[in-house]
Amino acid sequence: METKIINKQDLAKLIDGLISAGARTVAPVKVGQMHLFQEVRSPAEAVFDYFLARRSPKEFLFPQTEPIFSYTRQKDSVKIHPVDMAFPRTVVFGLRPCDAAGPGILDALFAWDYEDKFWFNRREQTAFVSMTCAQADHACFCSSVGLSPDAADTGADLHLTLLDDGQRYFVEAPTGKGKKLVSEFPSLFKPATDSDAAARGSAGEKAKGLITRKLDLSNVKQWLGSHFTDELWERLSAKCIGCGACAFECPTCHCFDFQDEATPEGGVRCKNWDSCCIDNFTLHASGHNPRNIQHKRYRQRIMHKFKYYIDKFGKTLCTGCGRCSRQCPVTLDIAEVLENIAAKAASGS
Amino acid sequence: MSEYDNISNEIRELAAKLLARGEVDVVIGYKPTALPGRTQPAFAYKPEDAREFVFNPLCVSGLPLYLTKAKPEISAKDRIAIVAKGCDVKNIVALQRENQIRREKIKVIGVVCKGVVGKYGRCDGKTEPKPEDLDEKCRYCDVNTPRDYDYLIGEKIESSPQSKEKEFEEINRIEKLSPRERWKFWEEHFKRCIKCYACSKVCPLCYCNRCIVDKTMPRWIDPSSHARGNLAWNIIRAQHLAGRCTGCGECERSCPMDIPLMLLNKKLERESEELFGYRSGYNPHDPIPLAVFREEDDDEFVR
Ligand code: SF4
Ligand code: SF4
Ligand code: SF4
Ligand code: SF4
Ligand code: SF4
Repeated sequence: METKIINKQDLAKLIDGLISAGARTVAPVKVGQMHLFQEVRSPAEAVFDYFLARRSPKEFLFPQTEPIFSYTRQKDSVKIHPVDMAFPRTVVFGLRPCDAAGPGILDALFAWDYEDKFWFNRREQTAFVSMTCAQADHACFCSSVGLSPDAADTGADLHLTLLDDGQRYFVEAPTGKGKKLVSEFPSLFKPATDSDAAARGSAGEKAKGLITRKLDLSNVKQWLGSHFTDELWERLSAKCIGCGACAFECPTCHCFDFQDEATPEGGVRCKNWDSCCIDNFTLHASGHNPRNIQHKRYRQRIMHKFKYYIDKFGKTLCTGCGRCSRQCPVTLDIAEVLENIAAKAASGS
Repeated sequence: MSEYDNISNEIRELAAKLLARGEVDVVIGYKPTALPGRTQPAFAYKPEDAREFVFNPLCVSGLPLYLTKAKPEISAKDRIAIVAKGCDVKNIVALQRENQIRREKIKVIGVVCKGVVGKYGRCDGKTEPKPEDLDEKCRYCDVNTPRDYDYLIGEKIESSPQSKEKEFEEINRIEKLSPRERWKFWEEHFKRCIKCYACSKVCPLCYCNRCIVDKTMPRWIDPSSHARGNLAWNIIRAQHLAGRCTGCGECERSCPMDIPLMLLNKKLERESEELFGYRSGYNPHDPIPLAVFREEDDDEFVR
């Protein structure tokens, strides 16, 4: 893998250079007490000494609301107007590995029985620059789902690790897009020495040490396969209030709904984020709802992430970012649910 | 043993007793979680389940939402006991006022509360939060000793809320802005809304079977999370709570996008008090301003 060094000033120049080149340049920005991924107009707006953005950056590939076509009503016909499918070049900086892993997990879904051009055209245009974590909390469990706080191989195009001098980032370029980004700004990237590589190694180890939550998920999928009905579901998730806070912040949740926003003259059909935890997610037109009570909805969240998606696409639909636990209004901690399942599986119940 | 250990023990004992004697089917309370600085709602169905209960300043969640028809798993139980701080009791009173619960079926385990930790406050859960770590609502709390209960846990205390002036400082500031500046203020906040509806789902008084946002014939509110849809949603949410909201702060605490919803709620709370002399959550028999007609009501706005 190609490796380089970039110092803080040159990283700012890289951001500046991309903005000047007309790229939509996105980075974590401080908004009130939280950080959000937002387009920046100058490198000074970007904050890299941060924990995790409140929302994952999935919205840059899969916006929370996206018009897919519009229409106007004529006398006795309807005219359909396609939307522009050319998306701007975008570079997203400062993702943590748990965010960076999201798109690679979701590619299979968006290419499943129909290739979603909205996702793939954006994907084509977007590069991701991830960074080794500097903080973690007890909701984080990335290392239990095959990731790590210093992982460079998540699918990110560049991965940066701040070395212990606090000034220089060790740069790894795992993808072609990443290498191209380096070659576009050759003067900003310096060669990396063996001792830099060693320093990157120890910085990575330090980051790994931040993770306090370790789950054993080895039997979880199997248990889920035979426990669609179990006392555990109601016991652990009756408290769920059925909001979208968890799914809408999650880097891997991808459910959407089609909605028409119309006037008598015409309208727009939109693709909007949705969540299996919301009560009308499975509400039929007849009024029947197969998931008629909250714990059946929360069960879908766990089943989808730790069984169905693995069955279908071979990947766990969770990167262990912990957002859902942290932001849940009633502290429904997904790691606690997984721990309970693992314990049941281990005890054979 | 700390004060909170004593309170927790008393709750455990009482809950276990109520369940053992068959006086209630479920007790709603709080239990610990592995996440530091947090607790979680918990339901005890058997006396031994009550062993997990705790009470401390990390018990921020408003439990009365589990009494509403939005949460049939629990609220459909015949006899329920619920652990409630003073502000939670206000929500119980408001639910009673709106005929959403049968008060005689509910045993309220009122807890004397010295305040809970704010969304960004720090607290170890063993001692009460420092003033700067307190939740905003607790600074103005006049119900530290709940106003209605079947059992009371903790020593009664007098409330000493900070002045109204302080409480409405930010609202007064915003009221003085020009309409354009005010618009900009809210636009900046509402543009972050992701329409997760946590604000409504967590609110005990948002109990409609079918929320107006889900109605499609006709569609009143754009479902998308764009400027128009977000504005419509946030106005509707606040308006539907006007004169009903008790100021528990759960919506703002739950909002993952940190939208200052309490500014809207409290502004409407003040209107309701000034125009109709009504404060929600204080008296289960007061007439509800939006549900009664009085000849002397202000009708200047009807033209
Ligand atoms: S399910 Fe939760 S922990 Fe897993 S990726 Fe989504 S938000 Fe993160
Ligand atoms: S788990 Fe928490 S965040 Fe997710 S729907 Fe339930 S209450 Fe909302
Ligand atoms: S508002 Fe009053 S009763 Fe409610 S948590 Fe704060 S101090 Fe306690
Ligand atoms: S909780 Fe916040 S982000 Fe979610 S719908 Fe309400 S205002 Fe919007
Ligand atoms: S609107 Fe907010 S503050 Fe008012 S009762 Fe509902 S959750 Fe509490």
